[in-house]
Amino acid sequence: MKAWIEKYFAVVQMTWIQTLEYKANAIVGTFAIFSGLLIEFLIWRQVFQTQNITELRGFTFNGLMAYIFLCMIVGQLKSSWATSIEMIDSIRTGELNKYLIRPISFFTYHFMMFIGHNSLFYIVYISVLILFPIFLPGWAFHTMFHILGFAVALLISIYLSYAIYFCMVCFAFWFGEVRALVIAYNVSNIVLSGQIIPLRLFPEYVREIIYYTPLQFLVDFPVSIATGNLPMHLWLPKMGLAICWCIVVSVIGRIIYRSGIRVYGGFGA
Amino acid sequence: MPIQVNELSKHFRLFKREAGLSGALRSFFNRKYENFHALDNLSLNIDNGEILGILGENGAGKTTLIKLLAGLLHPSSGSVDINGFTPWNRKPSFLKQISVVMGQKNQLWWDIPASESFLLNKKIYEIPEIHYKKTLDELIDLLSIKDKLNVQVRRLSLGERMKMEIIAALLHKPKIVFLDEPTIGLDVISQSKIRDFVKYYNEKYKTTFLLTSHYMHDIQALCRRVHVIHQGKSLYDGEFEDLVNRVNPKRKLIFEFSSAPSANEIETLSELYSFNIDETILRAELPDQELTQLVSKLFLLGTPASITLEDLPVEDTMRAFFTQPEKFLQ
Repeated sequence: MKAWIEKYFAVVQMTWIQTLEYKANAIVGTFAIFSGLLIEFLIWRQVFQTQNITELRGFTFNGLMAYIFLCMIVGQLKSSWATSIEMIDSIRTGELNKYLIRPISFFTYHFMMFIGHNSLFYIVYISVLILFPIFLPGWAFHTMFHILGFAVALLISIYLSYAIYFCMVCFAFWFGEVRALVIAYNVSNIVLSGQIIPLRLFPEYVREIIYYTPLQFLVDFPVSIATGNLPMHLWLPKMGLAICWCIVVSVIGRIIYRSGIRVYGGFGA
Repeated sequence: MPIQVNELSKHFRLFKREAGLSGALRSFFNRKYENFHALDNLSLNIDNGEILGILGENGAGKTTLIKLLAGLLHPSSGSVDINGFTPWNRKPSFLKQISVVMGQKNQLWWDIPASESFLLNKKIYEIPEIHYKKTLDELIDLLSIKDKLNVQVRRLSLGERMKMEIIAALLHKPKIVFLDEPTIGLDVISQSKIRDFVKYYNEKYKTTFLLTSHYMHDIQALCRRVHVIHQGKSLYDGEFEDLVNRVNPKRKLIFEFSSAPSANEIETLSELYSFNIDETILRAELPDQELTQLVSKLFLLGTPASITLEDLPVEDTMRAFFTQPEKFLQ
Protein backbone atom coordinates (compact mmCIF):
# COMPACT_ATOMS: atom_id res chain seq x y z
CA MET A 1 0.00 0.00 0.00
CA LYS A 2 2.86 2.35 0.92
CA ALA A 3 4.53 1.65 -2.45
CA TRP A 4 1.19 2.23 -4.23
CA ILE A 5 0.73 5.60 -2.51
CA GLU A 6 4.34 6.61 -3.21
CA LYS A 7 4.00 5.59 -6.86
CA TYR A 8 0.93 7.67 -7.54
CA PHE A 9 1.93 10.54 -5.32
CA ALA A 10 5.05 10.75 -7.50
CA VAL A 11 2.70 11.32 -10.47
CA VAL A 12 1.01 14.18 -8.59
CA GLN A 13 4.43 15.66 -7.83
CA MET A 14 5.41 15.44 -11.50
CA THR A 15 2.35 17.46 -12.50
CA TRP A 16 3.21 20.07 -9.88
CA ILE A 17 6.69 20.37 -11.31
CA GLN A 18 5.25 20.60 -14.81
CA THR A 19 2.70 23.23 -13.79
CA LEU A 20 5.38 25.34 -12.15
CA GLU A 21 7.41 25.30 -15.39
CA TYR A 22 4.72 27.47 -16.97
CA LYS A 23 3.92 30.11 -14.35
CA ALA A 24 1.85 32.47 -16.50
CA ASN A 25 -0.46 29.70 -17.71
CA ALA A 26 -0.99 28.45 -14.16
CA ILE A 27 -1.88 31.90 -12.82
CA VAL A 28 -4.24 32.81 -15.66
CA GLY A 29 -5.96 29.40 -15.46
CA THR A 30 -6.48 29.72 -11.71
CA PHE A 31 -8.15 33.09 -11.85
CA ALA A 32 -10.15 32.50 -15.05
CA ILE A 33 -13.07 31.30 -12.94
CA PHE A 34 -13.62 34.80 -11.56
CA SER A 35 -14.55 36.12 -15.01
CA GLY A 36 -17.35 33.53 -15.11
CA LEU A 37 -18.55 34.65 -11.72
CA LEU A 38 -18.68 38.26 -12.86
CA ILE A 39 -20.85 37.29 -15.87
CA GLU A 40 -23.21 35.31 -13.61
CA PHE A 41 -23.36 38.25 -11.19
CA LEU A 42 -24.34 40.68 -13.97
CA ILE A 43 -26.96 38.33 -15.47
CA TRP A 44 -28.69 37.54 -12.15
CA ARG A 45 -28.59 41.16 -10.99
CA GLN A 46 -30.37 42.06 -14.22
CA VAL A 47 -32.96 39.32 -13.61
CA PHE A 48 -33.63 40.46 -10.05
CA GLN A 49 -33.83 44.15 -11.05
CA THR A 50 -36.02 43.80 -14.16
CA GLN A 51 -38.38 41.34 -12.45
CA ASN A 52 -38.33 43.54 -9.37
CA ILE A 53 -38.05 40.53 -7.07
CA THR A 54 -36.15 39.96 -3.84
CA GLU A 55 -36.40 36.18 -3.87
CA LEU A 56 -36.36 33.46 -6.50
CA ARG A 57 -37.58 30.01 -5.42
CA GLY A 58 -36.18 30.56 -1.96
CA PHE A 59 -32.96 32.23 -3.11
CA THR A 60 -32.23 35.83 -2.19
CA PHE A 61 -29.79 37.58 -4.51
CA ASN A 62 -26.89 37.14 -2.06
CA GLY A 63 -27.88 33.54 -1.38
CA LEU A 64 -27.99 32.82 -5.08
CA MET A 65 -24.59 34.43 -5.62
CA ALA A 66 -23.10 32.40 -2.79
CA TYR A 67 -24.64 29.25 -4.26
CA ILE A 68 -23.43 30.00 -7.79
CA PHE A 69 -19.97 30.93 -6.61
CA LEU A 70 -19.66 27.61 -4.79
CA CYS A 71 -21.07 25.79 -7.83
CA MET A 72 -18.44 27.33 -10.04
CA ILE A 73 -15.66 26.34 -7.66
CA VAL A 74 -16.95 22.77 -7.32
CA GLY A 75 -17.53 22.60 -11.08
CA GLN A 76 -13.96 23.65 -11.70
CA LEU A 77 -12.50 21.26 -9.15
CA LYS A 78 -14.33 18.21 -10.45
CA SER A 79 -14.06 18.93 -14.16
CA SER A 80 -11.68 16.47 -15.78
CA TRP A 81 -12.71 17.02 -19.37
CA ALA A 82 -9.25 18.31 -20.35
CA THR A 83 -7.67 15.17 -18.88
CA SER A 84 -10.25 13.10 -20.77
CA ILE A 85 -9.28 14.74 -24.06
CA GLU A 86 -5.62 13.90 -23.34
CA MET A 87 -6.58 10.29 -22.61
CA ILE A 88 -8.57 10.01 -25.83
CA ASP A 89 -5.60 11.34 -27.77
CA SER A 90 -3.29 8.88 -26.12
CA ILE A 91 -5.52 5.98 -27.19
CA ARG A 92 -5.92 7.37 -30.71
CA THR A 93 -2.23 8.13 -31.27
CA GLY A 94 -0.75 5.12 -29.52
CA GLU A 95 0.68 7.18 -26.63
CA LEU A 96 -1.19 4.76 -24.40
CA ASN A 97 1.68 2.33 -25.02
CA LYS A 98 3.89 4.15 -22.57
CA TYR A 99 1.39 3.46 -19.78
CA LEU A 100 0.73 -0.14 -20.79
CA ILE A 101 4.40 -1.15 -20.73
CA ARG A 102 4.84 -0.02 -17.14
CA PRO A 103 3.33 -1.45 -13.96
CA ILE A 104 0.83 1.39 -13.60
CA SER A 105 -2.89 1.81 -14.07
CA PHE A 106 -3.94 4.10 -16.92
CA PHE A 107 -7.04 5.08 -14.89
CA THR A 108 -5.21 5.89 -11.65
CA TYR A 109 -2.20 7.50 -13.34
CA HIS A 110 -4.40 10.01 -15.16
CA PHE A 111 -6.58 10.54 -12.12
CA MET A 112 -3.47 11.54 -10.19
CA MET A 113 -2.34 13.76 -13.05
CA PHE A 114 -5.75 15.40 -12.93
CA ILE A 115 -5.47 15.91 -9.16
CA GLY A 116 -1.95 17.26 -9.62
CA HIS A 117 -2.94 19.71 -12.35
CA ASN A 118 -5.86 20.91 -10.23
CA SER A 119 -3.83 21.26 -7.05
CA LEU A 120 -3.17 24.93 -7.61
CA PHE A 121 -6.94 25.43 -7.96
CA TYR A 122 -7.46 23.54 -4.69
CA ILE A 123 -5.07 25.82 -2.84
CA VAL A 124 -6.50 29.05 -4.28
CA TYR A 125 -10.14 28.04 -3.93
CA ILE A 126 -9.74 26.67 -0.43
CA SER A 127 -8.26 30.06 0.51
CA VAL A 128 -11.30 31.67 -1.11
CA LEU A 129 -13.64 29.33 0.76
CA ILE A 130 -11.98 30.23 4.06
CA LEU A 131 -12.76 33.89 3.31
CA PHE A 132 -16.32 32.97 2.27
CA PRO A 133 -17.97 33.29 5.72
CA ILE A 134 -16.29 36.70 6.12
CA PHE A 135 -17.51 38.23 2.84
CA LEU A 136 -20.85 36.43 2.55
CA PRO A 137 -21.64 35.68 6.22
CA GLY A 138 -24.48 33.31 6.92
CA TRP A 139 -24.76 31.98 3.39
CA ALA A 140 -22.59 28.89 3.68
CA PHE A 141 -20.53 26.74 6.07
CA HIS A 142 -22.70 27.41 9.08
CA THR A 143 -20.99 24.77 11.23
CA MET A 144 -17.91 22.56 11.16
CA PHE A 145 -20.22 19.70 10.08
CA HIS A 146 -21.09 21.65 6.96
CA ILE A 147 -17.41 22.08 6.15
CA LEU A 148 -16.72 18.39 6.72
CA GLY A 149 -19.82 17.27 4.79
CA PHE A 150 -18.89 19.56 1.93
CA ALA A 151 -15.33 18.18 1.83
CA VAL A 152 -16.52 14.55 1.68
CA ALA A 153 -19.18 15.34 -0.95
CA LEU A 154 -16.58 17.22 -2.97
CA LEU A 155 -14.19 14.25 -2.96
CA ILE A 156 -17.03 11.98 -4.10
CA SER A 157 -17.92 14.48 -6.82
CA ILE A 158 -14.32 14.66 -8.10
CA TYR A 159 -13.99 10.87 -8.30
CA LEU A 160 -17.45 10.29 -9.76
CA SER A 161 -16.97 12.94 -12.42
CA TYR A 162 -13.62 11.45 -13.45
CA ALA A 163 -15.04 7.91 -13.53
CA ILE A 164 -17.92 9.04 -15.80
CA TYR A 165 -15.47 10.73 -18.18
CA PHE A 166 -13.30 7.61 -18.15
CA CYS A 167 -16.21 5.48 -19.42
CA MET A 168 -16.56 7.82 -22.38
CA VAL A 169 -12.81 7.93 -23.00
CA CYS A 170 -12.76 4.14 -23.38
CA PHE A 171 -14.99 4.31 -26.44
CA ALA A 172 -11.92 5.68 -28.24
CA PHE A 173 -10.71 2.06 -28.44
CA TRP A 174 -13.45 1.39 -30.99
CA PHE A 175 -14.17 4.76 -32.56
CA GLY A 176 -10.76 6.45 -32.34
CA GLU A 177 -12.13 9.95 -32.00
CA VAL A 178 -14.72 10.52 -29.29
CA ARG A 179 -13.92 14.07 -28.27
CA ALA A 180 -17.33 15.17 -29.54
CA LEU A 181 -18.95 12.78 -27.06
CA VAL A 182 -16.92 14.18 -24.17
CA ILE A 183 -17.57 17.77 -25.17
CA ALA A 184 -21.31 17.12 -25.62
CA TYR A 185 -21.44 15.46 -22.20
CA ASN A 186 -19.42 18.29 -20.70
CA VAL A 187 -21.85 20.92 -21.96
CA SER A 188 -24.91 19.04 -20.77
CA ASN A 189 -23.24 18.17 -17.46
CA ILE A 190 -22.41 21.84 -16.79
CA VAL A 191 -26.10 22.64 -17.06
CA LEU A 192 -27.69 19.49 -15.64
CA SER A 193 -25.42 19.18 -12.62
CA GLY A 194 -26.46 22.66 -11.48
CA GLN A 195 -23.15 24.31 -12.17
CA ILE A 196 -24.62 27.39 -13.87
CA ILE A 197 -28.24 27.41 -12.71
CA PRO A 198 -29.19 25.84 -9.36
CA LEU A 199 -31.16 22.60 -9.75
CA ARG A 200 -33.85 24.12 -7.56
CA LEU A 201 -34.68 26.54 -10.37
CA PHE A 202 -35.25 23.70 -12.86
CA PRO A 203 -38.78 22.50 -13.71
CA GLU A 204 -39.98 19.73 -11.38
CA TYR A 205 -39.99 16.96 -14.02
CA VAL A 206 -36.42 17.75 -15.13
CA ARG A 207 -35.25 17.63 -11.52
CA GLU A 208 -37.00 14.26 -11.10
CA ILE A 209 -35.08 12.86 -14.04
CA ILE A 210 -31.76 14.31 -12.82
CA TYR A 211 -32.29 12.70 -9.42
CA TYR A 212 -32.24 9.29 -11.13
CA THR A 213 -28.74 10.00 -12.50
CA PRO A 214 -25.34 10.56 -10.86
CA LEU A 215 -25.33 14.17 -12.16
CA GLN A 216 -26.97 15.48 -8.97
CA PHE A 217 -23.85 14.46 -7.02
CA LEU A 218 -21.42 16.37 -9.17
CA VAL A 219 -22.18 19.96 -8.12
CA ASP A 220 -25.58 20.39 -6.51
CA PHE A 221 -24.98 17.85 -3.71
CA PRO A 222 -21.77 19.32 -2.22
CA VAL A 223 -23.02 22.89 -2.66
CA SER A 224 -26.41 22.08 -1.08
CA ILE A 225 -24.56 20.67 1.95
CA ALA A 226 -22.33 23.75 2.20
CA THR A 227 -25.20 26.22 1.90
CA GLY A 228 -27.48 24.28 4.24
CA ASN A 229 -30.08 23.70 1.51
CA LEU A 230 -29.96 19.94 2.12
CA PRO A 231 -31.25 18.88 5.56
CA MET A 232 -28.60 17.12 7.61
CA HIS A 233 -30.58 13.89 8.02
CA LEU A 234 -30.41 13.38 4.23
CA TRP A 235 -26.63 13.68 4.03
CA LEU A 236 -25.72 10.08 4.86
CA PRO A 237 -28.36 8.38 2.66
CA LYS A 238 -27.37 10.65 -0.21
CA MET A 239 -23.69 9.98 0.35
CA GLY A 240 -24.41 6.24 0.35
CA LEU A 241 -26.21 6.59 -2.95
CA ALA A 242 -23.34 8.68 -4.36
CA ILE A 243 -20.81 6.01 -3.33
CA CYS A 244 -23.00 3.37 -4.99
CA TRP A 245 -22.88 5.44 -8.17
CA CYS A 246 -19.07 5.63 -7.84
CA ILE A 247 -18.88 1.84 -7.63
CA VAL A 248 -21.30 1.27 -10.52
CA VAL A 249 -19.56 3.76 -12.81
CA SER A 250 -16.10 2.40 -11.89
CA VAL A 251 -17.18 -1.17 -12.68
CA ILE A 252 -18.70 -0.07 -16.00
CA GLY A 253 -15.50 1.82 -16.84
CA ARG A 254 -13.38 -1.21 -16.00
CA ILE A 255 -15.51 -3.49 -18.18
CA ILE A 256 -15.36 -1.09 -21.13
CA TYR A 257 -11.60 -0.57 -20.67
CA ARG A 258 -10.89 -4.31 -20.51
CA SER A 259 -12.91 -4.93 -23.68
CA GLY A 260 -11.31 -1.94 -25.37
CA ILE A 261 -7.76 -2.97 -24.60
CA ARG A 262 -8.41 -6.25 -26.44
CA VAL A 263 -9.14 -4.39 -29.66
CA TYR A 264 -6.49 -1.71 -29.13
CA GLY A 265 -4.25 -1.42 -32.19
CA GLY A 266 -1.47 0.69 -30.70
CA PHE A 267 -1.24 2.54 -34.00
CA GLY A 268 1.06 5.47 -34.52
CA ALA A 269 3.70 4.16 -32.17
CA MET B 1 14.15 -20.48 -23.27
CA PRO B 2 12.91 -17.09 -21.92
CA ILE B 3 10.82 -16.19 -24.97
CA GLN B 4 8.72 -18.73 -26.85
CA VAL B 5 6.41 -17.61 -29.61
CA ASN B 6 4.07 -20.18 -31.11
CA GLU B 7 2.06 -19.66 -34.30
CA LEU B 8 1.36 -16.06 -33.44
CA SER B 9 -1.06 -14.17 -35.67
CA LYS B 10 -2.43 -10.67 -35.51
CA HIS B 11 -5.07 -9.39 -37.88
CA PHE B 12 -6.32 -5.82 -38.01
CA ARG B 13 -9.55 -4.57 -39.47
CA LEU B 14 -8.54 -1.50 -41.42
CA PHE B 15 -10.88 1.17 -42.66
CA LYS B 16 -10.32 2.08 -46.31
CA ARG B 17 -11.63 4.97 -48.34
CA GLU B 18 -10.93 6.77 -51.57
CA ALA B 19 -9.11 10.09 -51.50
CA GLY B 20 -10.91 13.44 -51.63
CA LEU B 21 -14.13 14.91 -50.30
CA SER B 22 -16.39 12.58 -52.30
CA GLY B 23 -14.50 9.58 -50.93
CA ALA B 24 -14.89 10.95 -47.41
CA LEU B 25 -18.63 11.45 -47.94
CA ARG B 26 -19.12 8.00 -49.42
CA SER B 27 -17.23 6.37 -46.58
CA PHE B 28 -19.28 8.33 -44.05
CA PHE B 29 -22.40 6.50 -45.19
CA ASN B 30 -20.84 3.27 -46.39
CA ARG B 31 -17.64 2.47 -44.57
CA LYS B 32 -15.47 -0.26 -46.09
CA TYR B 33 -13.13 -2.38 -44.07
CA GLU B 34 -10.36 -4.71 -45.03
CA ASN B 35 -8.64 -7.41 -43.02
CA PHE B 36 -4.92 -6.88 -42.75
CA HIS B 37 -2.72 -9.77 -41.64
CA ALA B 38 0.05 -8.01 -39.79
CA LEU B 39 1.47 -11.31 -38.49
CA ASP B 40 0.69 -14.74 -39.76
CA ASN B 41 1.55 -17.91 -37.82
CA LEU B 42 4.90 -16.73 -36.61
CA SER B 43 6.96 -18.97 -34.36
CA LEU B 44 10.17 -17.97 -32.68
CA ASN B 45 12.39 -18.83 -29.72
CA ILE B 46 14.82 -16.45 -28.11
CA ASP B 47 17.59 -17.39 -25.72
CA ASN B 48 18.59 -15.67 -22.53
CA GLY B 49 21.08 -12.89 -23.12
CA GLU B 50 20.67 -12.98 -26.91
CA ILE B 51 20.42 -9.91 -29.13
CA LEU B 52 17.97 -10.86 -31.83
CA GLY B 53 17.52 -8.62 -34.85
CA ILE B 54 14.05 -8.47 -36.35
CA LEU B 55 14.33 -7.56 -40.01
CA GLY B 56 11.72 -6.68 -42.56
CA GLU B 57 10.53 -3.89 -44.78
CA ASN B 58 8.14 -1.19 -43.59
CA GLY B 59 4.82 -2.83 -42.74
CA ALA B 60 6.33 -6.32 -42.58
CA GLY B 61 5.09 -6.83 -39.01
CA LYS B 62 8.22 -6.12 -36.95
CA THR B 63 6.67 -3.50 -34.68
CA THR B 64 3.49 -5.57 -34.34
CA LEU B 65 5.62 -8.48 -33.12
CA ILE B 66 7.37 -6.25 -30.57
CA LYS B 67 4.03 -4.85 -29.40
CA LEU B 68 2.65 -8.36 -28.94
CA LEU B 69 5.71 -9.50 -27.03
CA ALA B 70 5.57 -6.41 -24.83
CA GLY B 71 1.89 -7.08 -24.10
CA LEU B 72 0.60 -3.96 -25.84
CA LEU B 73 -1.61 -5.95 -28.19
CA HIS B 74 -3.76 -9.03 -27.89
CA PRO B 75 -3.10 -11.57 -30.67
CA SER B 76 -5.73 -12.94 -33.03
CA SER B 77 -4.34 -16.41 -32.36
CA GLY B 78 -1.24 -18.16 -31.08
CA SER B 79 0.64 -17.96 -27.84
CA VAL B 80 3.65 -16.28 -26.28
CA ASP B 81 5.45 -17.35 -23.14
CA ILE B 82 7.99 -14.97 -21.64
CA ASN B 83 9.59 -16.37 -18.50
CA GLY B 84 6.27 -18.05 -17.69
CA PHE B 85 4.13 -14.97 -18.39
CA THR B 86 1.61 -14.26 -21.11
CA PRO B 87 2.54 -10.69 -22.08
CA TRP B 88 -0.94 -9.30 -22.76
CA ASN B 89 -2.11 -10.17 -19.26
CA ARG B 90 0.28 -7.38 -18.24
CA LYS B 91 0.96 -8.66 -14.75
CA PRO B 92 3.04 -6.11 -12.80
CA SER B 93 5.71 -8.77 -12.13
CA PHE B 94 6.02 -9.29 -15.89
CA LEU B 95 6.11 -5.57 -16.68
CA LYS B 96 8.95 -5.15 -14.17
CA GLN B 97 11.03 -7.62 -16.22
CA ILE B 98 10.70 -5.89 -19.56
CA SER B 99 11.28 -2.53 -21.14
CA VAL B 100 10.41 -1.02 -24.48
CA VAL B 101 12.21 1.77 -26.28
CA MET B 102 10.53 3.08 -29.39
CA GLY B 103 12.65 5.40 -31.47
CA GLN B 104 9.67 7.40 -32.63
CA LYS B 105 7.89 7.73 -29.30
CA ASN B 106 9.00 8.88 -25.91
CA GLN B 107 7.97 8.03 -22.39
CA LEU B 108 9.76 10.99 -20.81
CA TRP B 109 7.78 14.03 -19.70
CA TRP B 110 8.36 16.59 -22.41
CA ASP B 111 8.31 19.84 -20.44
CA ILE B 112 10.51 18.92 -17.50
CA PRO B 113 14.04 17.55 -17.16
CA ALA B 114 14.61 13.83 -17.72
CA SER B 115 15.92 13.49 -14.16
CA GLU B 116 12.33 14.00 -12.93
CA SER B 117 11.05 11.20 -15.17
CA PHE B 118 13.78 8.95 -13.80
CA LEU B 119 12.57 9.66 -10.26
CA LEU B 120 9.03 8.82 -11.33
CA ASN B 121 10.21 5.51 -12.79
CA LYS B 122 12.04 4.83 -9.54
CA LYS B 123 8.70 4.98 -7.74
CA ILE B 124 6.77 3.14 -10.44
CA TYR B 125 9.20 0.22 -10.48
CA GLU B 126 9.79 0.44 -6.72
CA ILE B 127 13.57 0.62 -7.14
CA PRO B 128 15.43 0.86 -3.81
CA GLU B 129 17.34 4.14 -3.44
CA ILE B 130 20.77 2.49 -3.35
CA HIS B 131 20.15 0.50 -6.57
CA TYR B 132 18.59 3.48 -8.28
CA LYS B 133 21.55 5.73 -7.58
CA LYS B 134 24.08 3.11 -8.62
CA THR B 135 22.28 2.21 -11.86
CA LEU B 136 21.63 5.83 -12.77
CA ASP B 137 25.25 6.84 -12.20
CA GLU B 138 26.45 3.93 -14.30
CA LEU B 139 24.06 4.64 -17.19
CA ILE B 140 24.80 8.37 -17.16
CA ASP B 141 28.48 7.60 -17.24
CA LEU B 142 28.23 5.05 -20.04
CA LEU B 143 26.12 7.34 -22.20
CA SER B 144 28.08 10.50 -21.31
CA ILE B 145 24.97 12.57 -20.66
CA LYS B 146 25.48 13.94 -17.14
CA ASP B 147 25.42 17.61 -18.13
CA LYS B 148 22.00 17.28 -19.78
CA LEU B 149 20.19 15.64 -16.89
CA ASN B 150 18.56 18.82 -15.69
CA VAL B 151 17.64 20.25 -19.07
CA GLN B 152 13.99 20.16 -20.21
CA VAL B 153 13.49 17.11 -22.45
CA ARG B 154 12.06 19.18 -25.28
CA ARG B 155 15.28 21.19 -25.41
CA LEU B 156 17.47 18.11 -25.93
CA SER B 157 18.77 16.94 -29.30
CA LEU B 158 17.32 13.75 -30.76
CA GLY B 159 20.43 11.78 -29.79
CA GLU B 160 20.41 13.11 -26.24
CA ARG B 161 16.72 12.35 -25.94
CA MET B 162 17.26 8.78 -27.08
CA LYS B 163 20.00 8.33 -24.50
CA MET B 164 17.62 9.59 -21.80
CA GLU B 165 14.91 7.22 -23.08
CA ILE B 166 17.35 4.35 -22.80
CA ILE B 167 18.30 5.33 -19.24
CA ALA B 168 14.60 5.54 -18.28
CA ALA B 169 14.05 2.10 -19.80
CA LEU B 170 16.97 0.44 -18.01
CA LEU B 171 16.72 1.92 -14.52
CA HIS B 172 14.78 -1.08 -13.22
CA LYS B 173 17.28 -3.52 -14.76
CA PRO B 174 14.86 -5.35 -17.06
CA LYS B 175 15.69 -8.87 -18.21
CA ILE B 176 14.29 -8.25 -21.69
CA VAL B 177 14.50 -5.02 -23.67
CA PHE B 178 12.60 -4.35 -26.86
CA LEU B 179 14.31 -1.76 -29.03
CA ASP B 180 12.19 -0.58 -31.92
CA GLU B 181 14.25 1.58 -34.29
CA PRO B 182 16.37 3.06 -31.49
CA THR B 183 18.73 4.86 -33.88
CA ILE B 184 16.16 6.28 -36.27
CA GLY B 185 16.99 9.84 -37.29
CA LEU B 186 20.27 9.91 -35.35
CA ASP B 187 23.57 11.02 -36.83
CA VAL B 188 26.25 8.37 -37.38
CA ILE B 189 28.15 9.22 -34.20
CA SER B 190 25.05 8.96 -32.02
CA GLN B 191 24.07 5.74 -33.79
CA SER B 192 27.45 4.28 -33.07
CA LYS B 193 27.31 5.33 -29.40
CA ILE B 194 23.93 3.70 -28.92
CA ARG B 195 25.20 0.52 -30.61
CA ASP B 196 28.32 0.41 -28.43
CA PHE B 197 26.20 0.94 -25.36
CA VAL B 198 23.74 -1.87 -26.20
CA LYS B 199 26.61 -4.24 -26.93
CA TYR B 200 28.36 -3.40 -23.67
CA TYR B 201 25.19 -3.61 -21.63
CA ASN B 202 24.21 -6.95 -23.14
CA GLU B 203 27.64 -8.43 -22.46
CA LYS B 204 27.77 -7.13 -18.90
CA TYR B 205 24.24 -7.92 -17.73
CA LYS B 206 23.23 -10.70 -20.17
CA THR B 207 20.06 -8.77 -20.88
CA THR B 208 18.03 -10.13 -23.79
CA PHE B 209 17.51 -7.56 -26.54
CA LEU B 210 15.06 -7.65 -29.42
CA LEU B 211 16.05 -5.07 -31.96
CA THR B 212 14.37 -3.76 -35.05
CA SER B 213 16.25 -1.30 -37.22
CA HIS B 214 16.37 -0.18 -40.80
CA TYR B 215 20.05 0.58 -40.37
CA MET B 216 21.84 -2.62 -41.28
CA HIS B 217 24.93 -1.40 -39.46
CA ASP B 218 22.95 -1.68 -36.21
CA ILE B 219 22.04 -5.26 -37.01
CA GLN B 220 25.51 -6.13 -38.27
CA ALA B 221 27.20 -4.71 -35.18
CA LEU B 222 24.82 -6.17 -32.60
CA CYS B 223 23.00 -9.26 -33.82
CA ARG B 224 24.51 -12.59 -34.63
CA ARG B 225 21.08 -13.99 -35.26
CA VAL B 226 18.23 -12.35 -37.14
CA HIS B 227 14.60 -13.19 -37.76
CA VAL B 228 13.28 -11.92 -41.08
CA ILE B 229 9.59 -11.15 -41.45
CA HIS B 230 8.04 -10.57 -44.84
CA GLN B 231 4.37 -9.66 -45.20
CA GLY B 232 3.70 -10.91 -41.70
CA LYS B 233 5.30 -14.29 -42.26
CA SER B 234 8.51 -15.66 -40.90
CA LEU B 235 10.97 -15.89 -43.78
CA TYR B 236 14.36 -16.58 -42.27
CA ASP B 237 15.76 -17.35 -38.85
CA GLY B 238 19.48 -17.76 -38.51
CA GLU B 239 22.85 -16.06 -38.53
CA PHE B 240 22.93 -12.64 -40.13
CA GLU B 241 26.26 -13.39 -41.80
CA ASP B 242 24.83 -16.50 -43.48
CA LEU B 243 21.94 -14.46 -44.80
CA VAL B 244 24.27 -11.80 -46.19
CA ASN B 245 26.46 -14.45 -47.81
CA ARG B 246 23.44 -16.13 -49.28
CA VAL B 247 22.28 -12.90 -50.87
CA ASN B 248 25.65 -11.63 -51.94
CA PRO B 249 28.55 -13.98 -51.37
CA LYS B 250 30.96 -11.59 -53.10
CA ARG B 251 33.70 -9.52 -51.49
CA LYS B 252 35.61 -6.65 -52.90
CA LEU B 253 39.37 -6.78 -53.59
CA ILE B 254 41.67 -3.86 -54.37
CA PHE B 255 45.15 -5.15 -55.24
CA GLU B 256 47.79 -2.54 -55.93
CA PHE B 257 50.98 -3.76 -57.65
CA SER B 258 54.25 -2.03 -56.87
CA SER B 259 54.95 -2.01 -60.64
CA ALA B 260 52.60 -2.66 -63.58
CA PRO B 261 52.30 -6.43 -64.32
CA SER B 262 52.75 -7.80 -67.85
CA ALA B 263 49.75 -7.38 -70.12
CA ASN B 264 49.88 -11.02 -71.31
CA GLU B 265 49.64 -12.47 -67.85
CA ILE B 266 46.78 -10.17 -66.97
CA GLU B 267 44.95 -11.23 -70.12
CA THR B 268 45.35 -14.90 -69.21
CA LEU B 269 43.95 -14.22 -65.74
CA SER B 270 41.05 -12.22 -67.09
CA GLU B 271 39.85 -15.33 -68.94
CA LEU B 272 39.46 -17.05 -65.55
CA TYR B 273 38.28 -14.22 -63.30
CA SER B 274 36.27 -11.07 -63.69
CA PHE B 275 38.11 -7.89 -62.68
CA ASN B 276 39.15 -4.40 -63.81
CA ILE B 277 42.68 -3.11 -63.92
CA ASP B 278 43.86 0.45 -64.17
CA GLU B 279 47.68 0.46 -64.61
CA THR B 280 48.78 -0.88 -61.21
CA ILE B 281 45.40 -1.13 -59.41
CA LEU B 282 43.25 -4.22 -59.87
CA ARG B 283 39.66 -4.28 -58.60
CA ALA B 284 37.47 -7.39 -58.33
CA GLU B 285 34.16 -8.41 -56.75
CA LEU B 286 34.09 -12.19 -56.39
CA PRO B 287 32.89 -14.95 -54.06
CA ASP B 288 35.33 -15.84 -51.29
CA GLN B 289 36.77 -18.98 -52.86
CA GLU B 290 37.48 -17.38 -56.24
CA LEU B 291 38.88 -14.33 -54.52
CA THR B 292 41.38 -16.45 -52.57
CA GLN B 293 42.50 -18.17 -55.77
CA LEU B 294 42.85 -14.85 -57.57
CA VAL B 295 44.92 -13.31 -54.77
CA SER B 296 47.32 -16.27 -54.75
CA LYS B 297 47.77 -15.90 -58.50
CA LEU B 298 48.27 -12.14 -58.28
CA PHE B 299 51.11 -12.68 -55.84
CA LEU B 300 52.89 -14.65 -58.57
CA LEU B 301 52.58 -11.67 -60.97
CA GLY B 302 54.31 -9.15 -58.75
CA THR B 303 54.81 -7.74 -55.31
CA PRO B 304 51.77 -5.89 -53.96
CA ALA B 305 52.09 -2.32 -52.72
CA SER B 306 48.80 -2.77 -50.85
CA ILE B 307 45.89 -5.20 -50.60
CA THR B 308 42.40 -4.23 -49.45
CA LEU B 309 39.66 -6.77 -48.90
CA GLU B 310 36.18 -5.46 -48.14
CA ASP B 311 32.72 -6.83 -47.60
CA LEU B 312 30.21 -5.31 -49.97
CA PRO B 313 27.99 -2.70 -48.29
CA VAL B 314 25.51 -4.62 -46.19
CA GLU B 315 22.82 -2.00 -46.84
CA ASP B 316 23.01 -2.74 -50.60
CA THR B 317 22.95 -6.46 -49.96
CA MET B 318 19.86 -6.29 -47.81
CA ARG B 319 18.14 -3.95 -50.25
CA ALA B 320 18.67 -6.60 -52.93
CA PHE B 321 17.33 -9.21 -50.53
CA PHE B 322 14.13 -7.36 -49.71
CA THR B 323 13.42 -6.74 -53.40
CA GLN B 324 13.08 -10.48 -53.98
CA PRO B 325 13.43 -12.29 -50.67
CA GLU B 326 12.04 -15.61 -51.91
CA LYS B 327 14.75 -15.80 -54.58
CA PHE B 328 17.52 -15.98 -51.99
CA LEU B 329 15.84 -18.33 -49.58
CA GLN B 330 14.90 -21.20 -51.87
